[in-house]
Amino acid sequence: MAALTFILIPLIAASVILFVQNILYQQLLSGLVLIVLSFFAFLLFTSSESLIFALPHLVDIAVIFADIILLFYFIHQGRVYNDNKVLGLGILQLILYGWIEMLLPSSSTSSIVIDELSKMMFVIINTVGGIIIFYAVKYISYEKMDGFRKRLFLAYLFIFLSIMNALVMVNSILLFFFLFEMTTLASYLLIGFRKDELSQKNALRALWMNQIGGMVILLGAVVTITMFDTVAFDQLLSSSGGYLLFAVALLSMAAFVKGAAMPFDGWLLGAMVAPTPVSAMLHSATMVKIAPYMILKFAPVLAGTLLGGIVSVYGALVFVAASYFALSKEIFKEILGYSTIALLGLMVSLAAIGTQASQKIVIVLILFHAFSKALLFLTTGVLEKEHHMKSIESMKGLVQRAPKSVAFLIFGFMTLVLPPFGLFMGKLFALQAVSGNMMRSPWQIIVLLGVIIGSVLLSLLYFKVVSALLAKESDIKSTERESLPAGFALPLILLSAMIVSASVWLFKTQSGLPLYYLLIPVALLLLIPWFYRKIEGFDRAKEYHCGEKETFDAALFYFDTTALVKRRIYWFFGLLFVAVALVGVIS
Amino acid sequence: MTLLAPILGGLIYGVERVLRARMQRRQGPPLLQPFYDMFKLMEKRTLIIHAMHVLLGVLHFLILWLTVGAIFFGWNLLYVIFLHLFALIVLVMAGYSVRSVYSHLGANRELLAMVAYEPVLILVAVGFFLQSGSFEISKIMQGEGYLMQMPLLFMALLMIIPIKVKKSPFDVVEAHQEIVGGVEVEYSGLFYEFIYMARFLEYIFIYSFVFLFGGSSVWLGLVLVVAAFFLVNLVDNATARVRTADMIKIVYVGAITLCVINLLWIVL
Repeated sequence: MAALTFILIPLIAASVILFVQNILYQQLLSGLVLIVLSFFAFLLFTSSESLIFALPHLVDIAVIFADIILLFYFIHQGRVYNDNKVLGLGILQLILYGWIEMLLPSSSTSSIVIDELSKMMFVIINTVGGIIIFYAVKYISYEKMDGFRKRLFLAYLFIFLSIMNALVMVNSILLFFFLFEMTTLASYLLIGFRKDELSQKNALRALWMNQIGGMVILLGAVVTITMFDTVAFDQLLSSSGGYLLFAVALLSMAAFVKGAAMPFDGWLLGAMVAPTPVSAMLHSATMVKIAPYMILKFAPVLAGTLLGGIVSVYGALVFVAASYFALSKEIFKEILGYSTIALLGLMVSLAAIGTQASQKIVIVLILFHAFSKALLFLTTGVLEKEHHMKSIESMKGLVQRAPKSVAFLIFGFMTLVLPPFGLFMGKLFALQAVSGNMMRSPWQIIVLLGVIIGSVLLSLLYFKVVSALLAKESDIKSTERESLPAGFALPLILLSAMIVSASVWLFKTQSGLPLYYLLIPVALLLLIPWFYRKIEGFDRAKEYHCGEKETFDAALFYFDTTALVKRRIYWFFGLLFVAVALVGVIS
Repeated sequence: MTLLAPILGGLIYGVERVLRARMQRRQGPPLLQPFYDMFKLMEKRTLIIHAMHVLLGVLHFLILWLTVGAIFFGWNLLYVIFLHLFALIVLVMAGYSVRSVYSHLGANRELLAMVAYEPVLILVAVGFFLQSGSFEISKIMQGEGYLMQMPLLFMALLMIIPIKVKKSPFDVVEAHQEIVGGVEVEYSGLFYEFIYMARFLEYIFIYSFVFLFGGSSVWLGLVLVVAAFFLVNLVDNATARVRTADMIKIVYVGAITLCVINLLWIVL
């Protein structure tokens, strides 16, 4: 029953919203969906039972038809836009898929499994995704397009939500493949939504890269069916020997594609041309979270194997490399994009270690990353629509014009790095867990170094960006007041409140942590606006310019590497990607 | 003890100035000069750029004080490191919040210095964890023999002390001759005093890592601190400043390699 609510409610909302023209009613509808879905998600999360039930055979047949239509659509798109990669991959997928349907054991039935992991994912997808859609209503009203396309945009987002909800509960690899391809389709449509040349180009790139992910899932399915005579995840993961690790290796490779790990980072960066709620949706609640979700699913098999080792090292290296690449970027959303790729690498790396402790950390990281990234992206959208800026170069001294938005941005960055927020806790636990493992498996020192250096680079990145925002003139000029529309302000406040309450909740579950002590710095920082008016008794001065009359705005520092080094890094990651499959074969 | 931390740090700073003067065969200031400076600063007319700037400066001092408090309470070493990061981030935000070239350069160098020393601090903490089985400072203080097991980590720590106490060859952050003190430049009078006292706390923060190598033996810890203190000042007098990028390279190639070798040696 629960399963149906999560799939059907967004679908119903999607069809209803197509006929609702008034913004206010659209907001009411999306708000209602948010409340209902979050309520059910929390209800399910607090109940301890895990649900397993079989699907009627009719579903399987329907999915086969849908799959074939979907693959033909991809091939069609490849032909229309003359993209050989999309076309070729589409045809290959179709052939493979047809072969699999012939191999399929006739007795197989698909089933739904809702375990602890699915429940957690429901909470993240529905709360964060719901908030993003609520925000999207206001955002899309600023765009120059006809009313129907605006409503279609909102409908797509609801459908995306529904697909993600379905994806985290299926137990059949083939159903999973179908939903995986559906998320690919959803991202293709949303990235290309603005219909200009760049959008279309980036949408096609996202399409073919994700099709590679679909390919490796199909190959994994072939191995699973021929070796283990099943298509169910739970049966595959509980079997042993043979080519088990090969099948898991192929499926894990799909996780790297979806998680936009190098060398596939291009598609997520290209996704930045889409309207901002799409980026928020892709980065926080949906799409890319498939990567750590998949590895978490395979964690029991990966633990302690060579395959787990290479996946973990791959993730850790992605964490460092993506953080480093972000330092050379100028567009705000691209910076956030690389930081997402980096943190996904961290999550995958920890998940592949596969101990109980590290799996818990990954869930904490997924949760808090979703909140913080959503907050940052939605604030970026506000800057885009209210202040017309995308590049950090144009955001210099923004605090003077938009103090509220800047406060949300700084808060968002702080929650990604500093105590006592969830992501800091996650990294802290990660350091402790990896250090604890090192006695048994010394190779994890690579992961340890990755975690440390990646985190340091990310701190550098975030506060380098903050630097541009903060550069404020002397108090001789007064700060303007910024008015945030309620349709923007409400989601931002909700997300901030969720970060704080979830952090407190996390602290309560860990005994012996000095919560109140760690809260003092944040409390003091929050008091600054209040103290602001109290600093009256001192004279104001201009900045020291060494006697020069130049006007100084703000300095932004970029750290870049040469094209050659970059190309080598990409080659290295490409080889690492292939090595995952090879290690799967030999072990 | 925690409440007295700034005074203790001030004394260390005073001793350092005397020591440096003697190394250069100068008379040098009296031991209590840092405190005289503070009284002098209090009487000066205070000019500020804007309220946020000075408030962030005060906050930097307060959070650093909390960090040192966490050390004295014997808490988790990782909390200490991250609280210190918080304090540093606040200072960096303060540095960036004014439209001053020198302040921005200084803040940027603070961040780059953080990139250099932070990994080493965490790796040293991991070393303590592997030896004592805990990140808690109170537990680490009960163990012994750290110096024998972690000599390379100790060397790595010695390499980054100059960054934190702003001594040659790694004093790019402050670099009075180039960027007139970096982040400090826009503070004056009362509010400069907070930044000035924050420096005392940095001394306690970094030297307490050295002290931990003594383990349960307080005397060994003290000897190590005095020796490290002497060495850092000797190196300060004998070397010239390196550039920021070179500093990061030296620390990554030198100190982090030392750390990794030492950690592998412990676990293998």
